[in-house]
Amino acid sequence: MFDFFLDILGTTGKKFINFVANIGHFFIFFFSAIYWVFKPPWYFKKIFQQIIDIGYFSLPVVGLTTFFSGMVLALQTYNGFTDFNSETTVARIVLTSITRELGPVLTGLMVAGRIGAKMAAEIATMKVTEQIDALGTLGTRPMQYLIAPKIIACLICIPLLVLIGNTIGILGGYVIAIYKLNFNPSLYLYATMEYLQLIDIIQGTVKAAIFGLIISMVSCYFGYNASKGAEGVGFATTSSVVISSVMILTSTYIITALFFG
Amino acid sequence: MEKRNNKKVIIKVSNLSKSFNNNIVLKNINFQLLEGESLAIIGASGSGKSVLLKNIIGILEPDKGSIVINDTEMVNLPINLKEKLLLDLGITFQHGALFDSLKNWENIIFKTANKEKINNKQGKQLAFSIIKQLGLQPKILDLYPSEISGGMQKRVAIARAICGNPKILLFDEPTSGLDPVTGSLIDQLIKTAVKTIGGSAITITHDMASVCRIADKVILIDKQTISWTGTPKEMFNSANKKIQEFIKPIDSEIFFK
Repeated sequence: MFDFFLDILGTTGKKFINFVANIGHFFIFFFSAIYWVFKPPWYFKKIFQQIIDIGYFSLPVVGLTTFFSGMVLALQTYNGFTDFNSETTVARIVLTSITRELGPVLTGLMVAGRIGAKMAAEIATMKVTEQIDALGTLGTRPMQYLIAPKIIACLICIPLLVLIGNTIGILGGYVIAIYKLNFNPSLYLYATMEYLQLIDIIQGTVKAAIFGLIISMVSCYFGYNASKGAEGVGFATTSSVVISSVMILTSTYIITALFFG
Repeated sequence: MEKRNNKKVIIKVSNLSKSFNNNIVLKNINFQLLEGESLAIIGASGSGKSVLLKNIIGILEPDKGSIVINDTEMVNLPINLKEKLLLDLGITFQHGALFDSLKNWENIIFKTANKEKINNKQGKQLAFSIIKQLGLQPKILDLYPSEISGGMQKRVAIARAICGNPKILLFDEPTSGLDPVTGSLIDQLIKTAVKTIGGSAITITHDMASVCRIADKVILIDKQTISWTGTPKEMFNSANKKIQEFIKPIDSEIFFK
């Protein structure tokens, strides 16, 4: 009986130590990656390719998601606030929800699913097929050549995607408000512009930049530390999406609390 | 510069040991690679040959021991100095390790393009001049590694290793997966590279025909350590049981049963 409890204690302790070691390992990777982001030379061709991949090719999925979210938001708000001054209320709630929360979070989650998984799988495959080892023997630093361009591109693209997503989301709300709920277009637009605040845009952009950092760092970390062949690639991909998503949802609360708490 | 038999010592491995999680892979490995010498490392699968190569090129750090390349100690060498040293080496990995996202010609000139500015036309010309020697068609230059066969990938990896005429060549199973004709071609190329540019080579292989064609010296890794050293000629006269197993001709009875 005593041995049984000792076994449980031993297994739990080992898992806890591994967990702490992994966090330490992640932070070493994080600071090393940040160092290489600022260290020349920069591989501009690689950065440009990543910007196209992350920014341009994520536009349809981000646009669709935010557009429909804006539409749903307008409809739900109208149903809930029929007794109030609806034009103003719907416009205000759509605007605030999209710019402060839904725009950045939905964009972050979409990009984590689309790009984070791709990054992790790409780097993990390179790792298990010795391509990263080969890079190191060809006079190239893997962190500088592979990881830094991805981080830079995410930091540039995700804030831009959020700004575009916000605009499309507000447009979604406008379309429903005008064509389904028969609101006055001028009044709705006026209310939207009146409640548009710089702090909301700044907060959304800050969130987007932090999400960009989370997605690129987490995905690159899991990819870079992949092992055990195909199974390792799968594990890296799944872990990167799950951890990125959880971190996005956790950090959005912390950032909101810091700005408006 | 250390010399032996009037030849420069290019790589000197002394008392190298390496283990993974208490599993000892290499124990007290000692050997030297001299200038203009072609050394073949043989051993059973899993005997630690590739681990030895990875220790030499600094991908793995040995638990103890020393690796000196061109009079520079590799163990615990700062990364920037290690990189400079590696630029003089041409390396192929067991599975090619070609970059999937780059075309074959970009793979071949990768190291050269990092060292000096060359445009696409010059790069392709350089890659073409190398693949000619390896019996590859020019049309593969504009393809990606995934679009060519495994044997071709192997040759592209060798082309990447010899691009820029490095003086030290390290090949991990360069002829595995190749047909005998192409294998022989690769062997000839390794031999030519060693003789014409005065380079030195270490080749890890299971192919005994290849050993006979390219090696001046052979070492056998068995039970974590070097259990036999000699020339290919001595290998055929050796009474060492492991060596006998390696060179034992195929039992013709198998085919006629």
